[in-house]
Amino acid sequence: MATIAHGDHGHHEESFLEKYIFSQDHKMIARQFLFTGIFWSLVGAAMSVLFRLQLGWPNETFPFLETLLGKWAEGGRISNEFYYSLVTMHGTILVFFVLTAGLSGTFANLLIPYQIGARDMASPFMNMLSYWFFLLAGLLMLFSLFLQTGAASGGWTMYPPLSGIRDAKVNAGSMWGTDLWFFSMSMFIVSSLLGGLNYIATILNLRTKGMTMWRLPLPVWALLFTAILGVLAFPPLLSAALLLEFDRIFDTSFYLSDIVVGGNLLDYKGGSPILYQHLFWFLGHPEVYIIILPAFGITSEVLSVNSRKPVFGYKAMVYAIGIIVLLGFLVWAHHMYMSGMNPFLGSIFTLFTLLIAVPSAVKVFNWLTTIWKGNLRLTPAMMFALGFVSLFISGGLTGLFLGNSAIDIPLHDTYFVVAHFHIVMGVAAFFAMFAGVYHWFPKMFGRYINDTLGYVHFYATIISAYAIFIPMHFMLSLPRRYYVFSNYQTFNIFEDVSKFISVFAIISFMAQILFVVNIVYSALKGRKFTSENLNPWGSNTLEWTTPAEHLHGNWPGEIPEVYRWPYDYSTGHGDTDFRPQTEPLQEGEEAH
Amino acid sequence: MLNILLTLAVIILFYTVALFLGGIVERVRALKGEELDYTKNNQTHGKLFLIYGIFFLLMFAFSFKYMDFASLPKAASNWGVEIDELFVITAWITGIIFVITHIALFYFVWKYRGEKDKKATFFAHSSTLELVWTSIPALAMAVLVVMGLKTWFNVFPNKKTLPANQLTIEATGKQFNWMLRYPGPDGVFGKRVLSKEFVSPDNELGIDWTDPASHDDFFASELYMVKGRPVRFNLGALDVLHSFYLPHFRMKMDCVPGVPTGIGFTPTMTDDETRELLKSNSHWASIDPETNEPRYVKFNYELACAELCGKSHYGMMMPAHVVSQSKFEEWTKTQKPFFEVNKDKIQAWLAARNLSTSTSKGGNDHAAFNGEDTTKKDIKPDSNYTKVESATHNIADNKAMEGKQ
Repeated sequence: MATIAHGDHGHHEESFLEKYIFSQDHKMIARQFLFTGIFWSLVGAAMSVLFRLQLGWPNETFPFLETLLGKWAEGGRISNEFYYSLVTMHGTILVFFVLTAGLSGTFANLLIPYQIGARDMASPFMNMLSYWFFLLAGLLMLFSLFLQTGAASGGWTMYPPLSGIRDAKVNAGSMWGTDLWFFSMSMFIVSSLLGGLNYIATILNLRTKGMTMWRLPLPVWALLFTAILGVLAFPPLLSAALLLEFDRIFDTSFYLSDIVVGGNLLDYKGGSPILYQHLFWFLGHPEVYIIILPAFGITSEVLSVNSRKPVFGYKAMVYAIGIIVLLGFLVWAHHMYMSGMNPFLGSIFTLFTLLIAVPSAVKVFNWLTTIWKGNLRLTPAMMFALGFVSLFISGGLTGLFLGNSAIDIPLHDTYFVVAHFHIVMGVAAFFAMFAGVYHWFPKMFGRYINDTLGYVHFYATIISAYAIFIPMHFMLSLPRRYYVFSNYQTFNIFEDVSKFISVFAIISFMAQILFVVNIVYSALKGRKFTSENLNPWGSNTLEWTTPAEHLHGNWPGEIPEVYRWPYDYSTGHGDTDFRPQTEPLQEGEEAH
Repeated sequence: MLNILLTLAVIILFYTVALFLGGIVERVRALKGEELDYTKNNQTHGKLFLIYGIFFLLMFAFSFKYMDFASLPKAASNWGVEIDELFVITAWITGIIFVITHIALFYFVWKYRGEKDKKATFFAHSSTLELVWTSIPALAMAVLVVMGLKTWFNVFPNKKTLPANQLTIEATGKQFNWMLRYPGPDGVFGKRVLSKEFVSPDNELGIDWTDPASHDDFFASELYMVKGRPVRFNLGALDVLHSFYLPHFRMKMDCVPGVPTGIGFTPTMTDDETRELLKSNSHWASIDPETNEPRYVKFNYELACAELCGKSHYGMMMPAHVVSQSKFEEWTKTQKPFFEVNKDKIQAWLAARNLSTSTSKGGNDHAAFNGEDTTKKDIKPDSNYTKVESATHNIADNKAMEGKQ
């Protein structure tokens, strides 16, 4: 069972454990990240369905919820404490476990060695550790759901003092649930650093002969910048988490001061909750670029291959990502305009935040020009990449409202924010992830995915996603994280809209199950990806020069040499409309 | 239980049928040898995506009309009006970009859907184009930044000048309600001392009862402001973060334990004036089945919490009102100072500590509270509570405050 095809460079028999569990092979680790990510996205999405039931039908009871959740849904209605645990866990799981680890982990592992022409990561062992720390982080978070006092419920940002006072009277989720949240995040940060350092080292050192930096496919560029961001941004979160645990366990006062609970003044003196927010968002903002940059890369690649055209403005795309990374470190406090920090800071962060719109706009225009005058092959992957462009435009534009500190005064912490970030870094990043899975499915699983179900998945998802989030923009006066809002005459007018959104949330969830069913079924029973056609999409990049079956070391013989950039599509030379990177320049051809 | 099982069975059946149907379509494509030939799919989905796009843009336009009832009435504060203008300008700029880019996207997909013998145009780079679409967004952003910062510095001026006849209100958030303290007729808040001696379940704010200025301070159960009279909120929180949010005034500011914050504006619309506006709103003009009256009759402004503060975060609602100066004065007369109401308790507390209350300052401060010019008086709106234990602490606070005015 554990025999694999042999090349000529030191393959050995692998036991089941070595091959499937403690694997050090980048392709297997990519699939481990993918499946763990899928597990977490189902958990996170199911949570959103649960709290959408409460928001859509606040006055109804669902007896099955009590059967399922016991004391958290007495009488068939989710309790407010559990509701806050759900929104906290939904955010944490989706942002970190799915869109960071699931997206970056999967595609960095799959694409970096393949596309730069390396046999594996610089340190396969570190790569394995990265996955196992991620799994550990997930298990800790999973345990916290079964605590007597409930999982963390301070919102995914975990602002103190709500998360800092270890007192069930203040917040039940601030007991062990919060400790586990921070322990889990610490493990996650370790995983992310192990992965990130490895990706950077691999891309810089293990490129094959001829693979200069300016010949790297865009996903690799994007993943390189993502890794740099992660390595620089995650450590501050670790320190923030440590200091908060000190406040919680040893009664230090890093973030807490002058706190009165139940009429009793606590002993904390001199700390500032705003310090935590600075440390958190110093990661938290780059984090959204950690999520969206791989999505940029995947989209650029899928659009180019399926338009049969080079990606427009390749270098501009790389520079745009670079500028976004740079500015990404200078905008964190735009999450804090209303936090009580010095308003003068708000003006500086407004400037940098709106500046980011420039490279982002360049990327959008370049994508549109990439498909312009193309010969579009509308595979499900291509549909999702096109959907990504639409979502990124829609969600990016609303950022111009929120990034402008003056407009943010009324909009901060309302449904407008929820709509904005769900579209631009939630749904959009998911679309890129879907595009990637559909596009590289044959490479990952040796079989083709079912296209028909892919199209159904696409339309169901894009329609329901917009049906959920466009109405939310109009709920711009309603503060987020409200368990009910019928007690306000200002907000109770949103009850019908909320119901509408909940219906589409359920539809969207059903569509994602279809996707998972499709993956599992196609990976086991789909049409085989055979050596007769190793390059089904007519792609220039190196991953399509490897054999159909997975090989430890990727290429059976020598690693291919690279002679050109990856986007020579429809150049007019040769008999096909693509010129793989391994093909030397012909006479009359110009290098890019 | 049976219901759950049945539902599960139906769901599983649904996905099985979907898999089966999807499988058949793929099988047919494979039989025809077209499994990697997307020519037919390109035709179908190029058109379908365009139809979807038209539908999408129509729904987007329609949602503005449909959701019209949900928009808040005209902003009821001076800054609110300015912020709304900025919002509308941004909405136009982004709306135009949104529509143009989406039309391009849907049109290109339909127009350039793949065909067998068509060739894509090799077009990899154009300095001119890239320069154009770098500089246009840059210009648009410059305009937005300049306009935004102008408003921002209006709301939070760098130099602090106390507006004449400013009404100062202290709002403190706690789980799960607001404590609104008015300074009373003397226009001065009683000092607060955050020490274990002063803070107790009966006196959560740690008000210093030996300070005569505290004797006429009253707590209000509804927020009252005066039309045309600048109002300033000194914000704080007892336990966790809260956020003082007045949606109708487009105003918001976090309340942070240990860090005093504040926000100020001038209310411009009384309750009645906004009620009048709401008559033309389909929701507010409709009949409330409970009272058999149009809804706008019962309209009032509301104060909400906008920062997650625990399990009853959504419950921190407090009605708010904007009234004329004379009505405001009438209202203040009905409000009993906390000191008066709890006199026995407070006296006992003072006696137990061998403290006494100094004599009250008398009536001439009445003017400040009733809207006359108070700028000449030494009122420090934000420094109305002191912290006993650390002197350095106070310096830090003052610094923070300077920035925040």
